[in-house]
This record gives sequence, C-alpha cells and structure tokens, in this order.
Amino acid sequence: MASSLHTQTNTNTNAMNGTSASAAPAPAPADPNSHLSKKPRLLTPPQPLPITPSGILSEFSHHDPSIARINNGSFGCCPSSVISAQQQLQLQWLQQPDHFYFNQLQSRILQSRNIIKDLINADHVDEVSIVDNATTAAAIVLQQIAWGFAEGRFHPGDAAVMLHYAYGAVKKSVEAYITRAGGYVIEVPLPFPVNSVDEIVQEFKKALERGKQNGRRVRLAVIDHVTSMPSVAIPVKELVRICREEGVDQIFVDAAHGIGCVDVDMKEIGADFYTSNLHKWFFCPPSVAFLYCRRSTSNSDLHHPVVSHEYGNGLAIESAWIGTRDYSAQLVVPKVLEFINRFEGGIDGIKKRNHEAVVEMGEMLIKAWGTHLGCPPEMCSSMVMVGLPACLGISSDQDALKLRTYLRDKYCVEVPIYYRAPKDGEVGPVTGYARVSYQVYNKVDDYFKFRDAINQLVHNAFNCESLPN
Amino acid sequence: MEHEDPRNGELSPRSSKRPKISSKFISESEIRDEFSHHHPRVARINNGSFGSCPGLVLAAQRQWQLEFLRQPDAFYFNTLRNGIMASRKIIKDLINADHVDEVSLVDNATTAAAIVLQQIGRGFAEGKFQKNDTVLMLHCAFQAVKKSIQAYVTRAGGSVIEVRLPFPVTSEEEIISEFRKSIEKGKSNGRKIRLAIIDHITSMPSVVLPVKELVRISRAEGIEQVFVDAAHAIGSVKVDVKEVGADFYVSNLHKWFFCPPSVAFLYCKKSNISSDMHHLVVSHEYGNGLPIESSWIGTRDYSSQLVVPTVLEFVNLFEGGIDGIMKRNHDEVVKMGKMLAQSWGTNLGSPPEMCAGMIMVGLPSRLCLNSEEDAVRLRSHLRDCYEVEVPIFYQVSKDGEERVRDKDGLITGYVRISHQVYNTLEDYEKLKDAINQLVDDGKTCKMLCTE
Repeated sequence: MASSLHTQTNTNTNAMNGTSASAAPAPAPADPNSHLSKKPRLLTPPQPLPITPSGILSEFSHHDPSIARINNGSFGCCPSSVISAQQQLQLQWLQQPDHFYFNQLQSRILQSRNIIKDLINADHVDEVSIVDNATTAAAIVLQQIAWGFAEGRFHPGDAAVMLHYAYGAVKKSVEAYITRAGGYVIEVPLPFPVNSVDEIVQEFKKALERGKQNGRRVRLAVIDHVTSMPSVAIPVKELVRICREEGVDQIFVDAAHGIGCVDVDMKEIGADFYTSNLHKWFFCPPSVAFLYCRRSTSNSDLHHPVVSHEYGNGLAIESAWIGTRDYSAQLVVPKVLEFINRFEGGIDGIKKRNHEAVVEMGEMLIKAWGTHLGCPPEMCSSMVMVGLPACLGISSDQDALKLRTYLRDKYCVEVPIYYRAPKDGEVGPVTGYARVSYQVYNKVDDYFKFRDAINQLVHNAFNCESLPN
Repeated sequence: MEHEDPRNGELSPRSSKRPKISSKFISESEIRDEFSHHHPRVARINNGSFGSCPGLVLAAQRQWQLEFLRQPDAFYFNTLRNGIMASRKIIKDLINADHVDEVSLVDNATTAAAIVLQQIGRGFAEGKFQKNDTVLMLHCAFQAVKKSIQAYVTRAGGSVIEVRLPFPVTSEEEIISEFRKSIEKGKSNGRKIRLAIIDHITSMPSVVLPVKELVRISRAEGIEQVFVDAAHAIGSVKVDVKEVGADFYVSNLHKWFFCPPSVAFLYCKKSNISSDMHHLVVSHEYGNGLPIESSWIGTRDYSSQLVVPTVLEFVNLFEGGIDGIMKRNHDEVVKMGKMLAQSWGTNLGSPPEMCAGMIMVGLPSRLCLNSEEDAVRLRSHLRDCYEVEVPIFYQVSKDGEERVRDKDGLITGYVRISHQVYNTLEDYEKLKDAINQLVDDGKTCKMLCTE
C-alpha cells in the first residue's frame, strides 16, 4: 500500500478505500489462482482514455457559454470531472468528519504533495507545502523576513528587491511585513513593451547594485516567473544565478502562473522558495497552491501564519491543518493528473499548444488592429499582451477597468486590460494592452469575438472618456 | 448591474433539497432528510468538534460555487462583495454589534486568534510593550490558541500566565475566584497584563464560563485588551458582544450555526487598536480595514461565507428559531448526560447551568483511563467497534486537587457529548451500552484494540 502513494496516477488507492473519487480501475485479468487470494492485486493504473474535442466541451460545459472567456490567467478553470471528485471528498467529510480527520486527511494531503514533488523536480517531499494560493505563500515567506528584522538578525535598512510589476498583493505584503519591520524596498523597473530578455537582466543587475549601496545586505529578492500585469515570462534562472553571485540571502520566485504555464523545475531554477497556484493553469478547483522551500538551515524557520496545534512540526505539516476548513481542493491533485494525462503529451503538450495558440491569436489580433505585442513570442507563456488601438483613448488604470467592464457587459468578452502610461516624446502611443489567455477550452471564435468587438468600437469612434464612472 | 440575488431573501428555486413544509415548523422526518448525508449508522454525538450543515444550506453553497466557476470575473467584480456584506450584516444583528465595520469573516477561530495575537506580538516587536509584559490565558485553552501565543507572543518576548480552572466544577464562583487569583499572580513583579484570552465555552473539558463577569474583572484589574475565544458560542449560547464587553470576540459559524466548513466571525470593538489589526494573508486590500482585508485574501472558495442568509432561513424553520434550537439542545444534552451518569454510576463535569449544547460525563473508573493515549484508544475503539463518535477527555491529576470517585475508584476520564437537532435518543443509548459492555467485559483502555 505504501508504494502506491508515490505513483502519479492513483486510482487504486481510492478504490481500495472504497471511494468512487476516481475512475474505476480496469478489471483484473483472469488469474487461475485468484480463488486462493482474497486481496485484490495492485495493478498499474490503466492508461487514461484520450480526450476528444467533445470531451473537452463537456468537461467545461459549466462555463458560461455566452462569454468569450479569454482570461484563464486570473481565476483559472476546473474540469467537471475534477469538480465531481471534489464534491465526493466534501461529502465524505460531511458524512463523518472525525473519521475523515483522523484517518484520511493527512495521507491524502501527503499523496498530493508527493505528486507535486515529482512534477516540479524537488528533492524531497518535505520541501513541498500546500497552501491556499500564492498570496498566502508570499505572506509565509515575508513573515519570516519580518522576524529577521524583529529578532535583530537583519539590520534596519537591509533591502528587499522586487519587480515593479510584482503582483499587487505581493507588494502590499512586502509593505506589511518588510517595510513595517524596517526593511528598505527596491523596485526593479522593467520596460514595457519589452524587446528582449537582456533588457530585463540589465535592469535587475542595476537594482541589485542599488540594494547593496551603503553597506546594505539584500536579504530577499522576489522574482516573478511570469508577471501578472503586464504579463511577461521572466528569465528566472538567470536572475537567480545573478542573485547568488551578488550575495542575496534568499530568493523567492512568485510563479503564481507557473505550473501548467511554464517549465517548473526547482533544481534548475535554484531558488530558495518557489510558489505556484494549481488552480490557474493546473486545473485544480479554487484554491490550492504549492510552496517549495529548499532544504537548508537558513530557511528552516518558516511557519504558516495561522497557527494550529501542529506548530513546530514543519511548514508542510503546519499547512496541512490550519483549523477546521474545507481541504478538498488540496486532495483532488491525483484526479487532476488523470485529467491532464488524457491530453497528448500531458501537461507539457498542453503548455506547448496553449503557447502556440495564444501567440497565433495574438498575432491575428495585432494584424486586425494595426498594433503590436507587448513582448516577443518567446517571452510569452500561455498569455500574451496585445496592444489595443490608440484611438480608444485608454488614459488611466480606471479607463482600463471601465473598458474591461464595458467589454464584459456589452460584448460578452472577458479579458483584463492593462494601462501603460506613455513615455515622454512618444507619438500616438499604444496605452492599452489586453492580456489574452489560451487554455484547452478556448476556441478561435473567442478571439474573433474580441477582435470584432474592438473593431466595432473603433468604427464607432469610441473613446474611454464616454464611459461612466 | 447588481440584481437582487434570490438566495439573499427567499429559498432559492434552484436548490434541489427543500423541506416540504406541511405544518408550520420542520418535522422530525424533514430534519432527518436535511441530515441524510450523515453516516446512517454512526452515533454522531460530537457536534462540538466539526459541526454540521443541513442539505438545503449545502445546496445553496453549491450554487454559489458553480456561479463562481461559470464566470469567475463577473462573480468577483459584481457578486462576491455584496454577498459577504449581506452575511456580515446578518451576523452584526445576531450578535448585537454596533456597526458592521466591527464584523469580519474569517475561516475559523484559529485564524482569528492569529490575527489578534499578531497584533500583540507587534506590540512587543515595535517597543510598545516591555519585555515580560504578560498575556493571560486559560490552562485549558484550545491547543491552537496556546501555540499561537507561543508563535506570536513568547517569541516576541512576552510572558504567559495560565489560569488553571477547577474541573469538575460546581459553581461559577469557583471559576471567578481562580481567575482573580491568577490575575494577582500575573500582576506581581509589576508586570503589565496586555491581553487576557478567555474562552466563552471551553473546549476540553467543556464548560460555559461566566464570561461577562470575567471580562468585567479583567477591565477592573487594568488588563489592556480582552479577547473572548467563543469558538462554540454562536448557536449554542446567547451572544451579545456589547454585554460581554470584550475588545475581540470570535465564534465559528460551522460548529453550532449550520454553516458549511468553514466560516467564523471576528468582532473587533472600534478602537485605535482595531484599526491596526490586519489579516495575516495580505492582499491588495491591505489597509482598508480588517473586514475588507478578510473578504479578499486571494483566489479561494468563499462560498461558505455567502450562505449565512440561507442558514437563517433554515433555523427559522424551527420553533423559536435559533433560540428554540439552543434551548432544546441544552435541555436534551443535560437529560442525556444525566441518563449516562446514572447508568454508569458517575458524575457530570459541571452543573446544567454551566453547559450549553455539550456536557461532560464521567467515565467509569474501571476503564482505567490513565493517560492521553488511553483516551485516544478508547475514542478510536468506540468509533471503530461501536460506531460511536465522541471525544474523550483525560484529566491529569493535580497535587492537592480532590477528585471525584465512583464506587470503584477515581474518575479520570470524561466523554464530551453534544446534542444538535439531528441527534436521537438512540445515539446516546448506543454510547451508554458500549461503555457498559466494556465495563462488564472487564476491559480497561490499555486492552482495547483499534482497527
């Protein structure tokens, strides 16, 4: 039984537990000696049935069919077979919670952690904790930095470095835990649109220099793997290497968009901490993320901020019980793997096709609108920033949000819009970019709908000024 | 853009499970239907640990979950905020808070404790408090709260006083007297008590404390902040936060108030302190006040926070609403407790007026329950071999403390039985018979096998 916890698809464990949380395993081949043994043989899990286009439609039939849903990046998606599995687990808890708590929960979380460990090429399952989302992971990493200041290991003015395009929640978390504790925060300005990986590397190096001025130590670097807004894939491996060279204490990669979107290999990337949401691009229900913490003495003192009786037993165990809650989203990872493996090439195949499709759609749109992409295709993941016609008059963050709402309400298109302030001397600049996503449920029509909506707005001489507050 | 959501006012036409109310109030068979997802054979007399949720509330929750999955962006921008505000307003009225700004929704009391204690920890880290200033808590405080104090207070240089309350207890006066003594001790050496954490209903062993009086005494003795951990309170005892008078008051809604796992409210009386309280998981809402911060801590399933209006519909199907439910739960659990104590020849852990929906009943001394391990063994054995779910308390003996005896020896163990609307007499008879059988068979805890 123990060995089955370490395999990736695990239908048999569930079958042995008498649950119907996963597809029924294929019947055992006829065994002439079967009458001698009462124990069912543990078979290699059957190869999952390849998924068809109509199968995909059916798995996402709960999505609003009237919407061109080209924003997988914000809230992700979850196929109905996984939702059903989750509901089964929720019912099991409700049926007899004490039994579930004492006999099921811990082993199931461990099973999910083992799957993730293999997926991300971590050395040991102890390095893998499961939390709600990247926002929570950030708080965990940053709280420990705050203690460094409070306990005198760090000195006032020691620095933390993050990207200017760091996620809003992470910036606030840095303010709440680092600035408040006496740390000095440096933001790395990144160009956008961006033309090459090198532009990013240069800015980062400059920021580290600033960090080390006046004898400061850089205690933490927070690096996005794929920035949120505007969305660009960052050369994390290179930046981590530079951080090590420059003596940065700890490196935290915020890869909220990581798993299922870009290649996620902990040993390759070499960061101390790495977090990714599983509900964005890895088909888990809301919400679940992993936080990887490389084993070493310097970062052995991470704690979940919600303290339970498991305090002191290691972050992974602490995170596995933070009081009575619904942990079902953390338990369906085996089922999600089954789903993914129905696609050709598994998650790698999905990533590759998503990337190619989103670039193709992006290029279709810029051709239709006469604009440009926010970065070269090789710096896109499954999302691409597509310039919007300048005549739309997007001149503030507020305009961008209003236009987004307008597109949702009037054209049934769901896509986030980024406002990019023009630089001095720019003539007729593109100030708005749509962050277009592609996931397995998307169709070309979704992007045509968007193309046509914008074309219509341009045709009608629409300007954001006309939108009410 | 917003339209009145049918779930906020009436029973949703989309919910699949609806009690067909023939008479004015919900009937016994309708209650059975609502809890038909409970394991049919288990005598589930432990509502206190993980609570319970009726079918119609689960159905409403699923609707919310599906709505998010259907179009999450629209849900986030147009629906979520209003849904959480509707729940907060209902709670504000239920608990008699002055203003909805004082009411935040969080996952559970464990989360609320971390929020309150982080703020205390900062007091030490930022020099507001002196090293060795004190936090006062009960010896029987919930283990998560104790660890939270270690993580946030002790680590930051604060010290801790534990108040050891007597158990079994025979009167509120015993509690009050012990509490006063501990405060005296705490204030000796000129230490300042920065925070008192007082349970409204202790967990193990479970007793309803005279919390209003304890808060009053705390104030009178100059304790700066008072935090009432009332994890079990709402739906179990009357909750009036103004009457209780604490600075912070938390209660889980999924224990005795029929919400799905998990949701709790944290009440913070308006003050300078409350404006600097923060949720530990920081989002873009940081700085907008604890209720707003708590309403968005990243992408998650917030559906359990959204069904509070539906829960209110559910409780109002019962005669007397939540008050009627509380009273009947109390009367029944006392009755069942007395029935068990009489059958086993043991005692109750507290007088009826110091119980709510739970009561502690002494276990026969012949079971020789002499350690935590014995308690765990017995509990597992009851679950696995008798299909009875009930938590067991092992009482560590204290020097000089008088212990209750039964005819065979010292009573060292207690069951904590709960009564909620789905419980029947059979549940408690099952427990009664199981224990009697073990005793008749000459079994002690150490002999018990578990699966």
